[in-house]
Amino acid sequence: MSAPLGITNINNLAPEVPVQALEDFLSTPMFNLIHSFGVDLYHAEAYLGKTTRMSRFERLSTDGGQLDGSGIDPAPEVPVRSDIDARMEIYAKSITVNEQVILWENPKTYSKFVGLLGQWMREKEDLLMRDLFSSSVTYLNAVGGGNGDSPSNPSRGDFNNIETILLNNDARTMLESVEAMDKFSTSPTRDAFICLASSAMTNDLQNIQGVILKNAYPSQEGLRPEEYCSVSRFRVFISSKAAKKPGASMLGRTVYTMPMYGLEAAAKIEQNQYTSVIGSRPAWVVSSVGQNSGLYARFAIARAITNQNWISGLNATTTQPT
Amino acid sequence: MPFTIITQGNFTSTGVGVKIPIPQSCDYFVATNVTQMGTTQATGRCVRGEWYRNGTNANDLSNLGLRWKKTDATSAINIDSFATSTASGGFVYVPTAPVTEAAVTGGTAITAASPAVVTITNTYSEGDRVRLYATTGMLQIAGMDFTISSVSGAGFTLLGLDASAFAAPATAVTARRISEFDAVEPRFLYITGISQASQAVVTVSTEHNYVVGELVTFNVPSSFGMSEITGLTGKIVAVTAYTMTVNIDSSNFTAFAFPASTGVPTVQLFATLGPAGQRTQYNPITGIQTGYDFNYPPFHTGEFTPYLFLNAGANSPAGSADDVIVWQAYKSETELINSGNP
Repeated sequence: MSAPLGITNINNLAPEVPVQALEDFLSTPMFNLIHSFGVDLYHAEAYLGKTTRMSRFERLSTDGGQLDGSGIDPAPEVPVRSDIDARMEIYAKSITVNEQVILWENPKTYSKFVGLLGQWMREKEDLLMRDLFSSSVTYLNAVGGGNGDSPSNPSRGDFNNIETILLNNDARTMLESVEAMDKFSTSPTRDAFICLASSAMTNDLQNIQGVILKNAYPSQEGLRPEEYCSVSRFRVFISSKAAKKPGASMLGRTVYTMPMYGLEAAAKIEQNQYTSVIGSRPAWVVSSVGQNSGLYARFAIARAITNQNWISGLNATTTQPT
Repeated sequence: MPFTIITQGNFTSTGVGVKIPIPQSCDYFVATNVTQMGTTQATGRCVRGEWYRNGTNANDLSNLGLRWKKTDATSAINIDSFATSTASGGFVYVPTAPVTEAAVTGGTAITAASPAVVTITNTYSEGDRVRLYATTGMLQIAGMDFTISSVSGAGFTLLGLDASAFAAPATAVTARRISEFDAVEPRFLYITGISQASQAVVTVSTEHNYVVGELVTFNVPSSFGMSEITGLTGKIVAVTAYTMTVNIDSSNFTAFAFPASTGVPTVQLFATLGPAGQRTQYNPITGIQTGYDFNYPPFHTGEFTPYLFLNAGANSPAGSADDVIVWQAYKSETELINSGNP
């Protein structure tokens, strides 16, 4: 439609600035962080090397021990200690910003970049813990799902099998302690193990016999947003970045690894005097003509499986391959 | 500086693929075969390879790079893509570990022998780690990882698998190469055999880096027989490339045996072991601690990423045995070399 004669409007006199920015940015996508909250947090002293040792004394033998009245003392037992070592590693990310960005873009851009670096640290830590679970834990294939693949999609029987393994190894559930209650509330089961899964598995999780979806929990207080459901004594938390192995099933489908564990199964160690550093570098340092400035984030972390008997899990596929 | 060299080096080819860590990542990589550059072969060879980080898909594993190749019996150069010939791999940029490459299909057999031998057209190198699946007739190993040896373009051997007790050979197989190490080491291992002995000898499917003094915990489902060892933690007292001897008396345990292929997918898989720390000895008189390698047992990053993998061969960037290769890695300040604002 042509513009009416004699009327000055936006058709014949377009706005000088064709766009305007909203007062705030839209949300930056962030995946569910599920791999850290259930592990134990320790701290390493500075100036004492980069390997942290966590030690555990094993149970004394319960064989024998009865005194026969002869006056002969039973042989003393030497306690056995197991050492688990973890090496501290440092990770970093930087953003170099040209002055023209700061000059002409949304004034919140620079502070948003600081927020992005903070988000990067949280996400990177989560992925590092995920890699620990996927690399250093032994898993069993799910076999009860009936999708015809090996591993199959998960079933109630597969969950029960892992529970049996954990209980046979004297693993302790998370919710025996107040600390665990703070981590993910007590609903619907108090004595629960943690199960971590990919968000690609939600359809199969819903179809497991006896599953209780999160919205059906008797109490919603204190629940973590990452929680999806509970199966038997497992509370299931999901993330789009959970571990997976492309093309690893019998039929060549993606295999998802589902760590399942209780108390003191894994640990992350932060470095005193170093953890979570965010800083900036002024333009006169970064650029010879003072046009670029820098932001950076660094953090140190060590990680370890502290009790292989108290963590297990399932390899599983989905009914509808993605 | 918009485009700058960040690291460089050289190596003498041993005829197997080479992994070059690029801590800062890179946007352009060039490898020059100095040996072949200075000679003329009756059959032309690759003398230079170039890899460009793809602007639209930086982690595209099909982005094998450009090949500079001498024409037969002359020094004239032809340039094509490594992707034009399936018999000569180019570059593989690996941003995360373990990487899974595009599958190599068309394998026709895995022998029921010790060691098992796989017939499959491939461009793999000696010592590579591969994941096998779709192993028709031998489904009890579908999804397992193996170290390969005696590699040729027509197949390879699995030194970590004694398949002589299997009911039948496999009649089809698909393979993927994965990185040598897992994201975190020590990693869990697939068990392919456990002896019945006062000190059990455990055979695993891949070459391992476990050391004497380390502790391992077993997870062996009953479908593999020796389920008595599940949950037990043993201390390693001796190692070879594919085996470890542990201080667990398995003399009276059920014999270890793979389940039948016909039981898959309902039979429980796999038999595995995982790292459980270590126990050392200390002699207060000599002041010497034994039973511990300070480099491997602590949980640590297994595969430094990103890295660039250079395939080996007469028509590949890592060259043939004794070829001297010089390489440089470059990085663009704007990350992508096709950026409109260099």
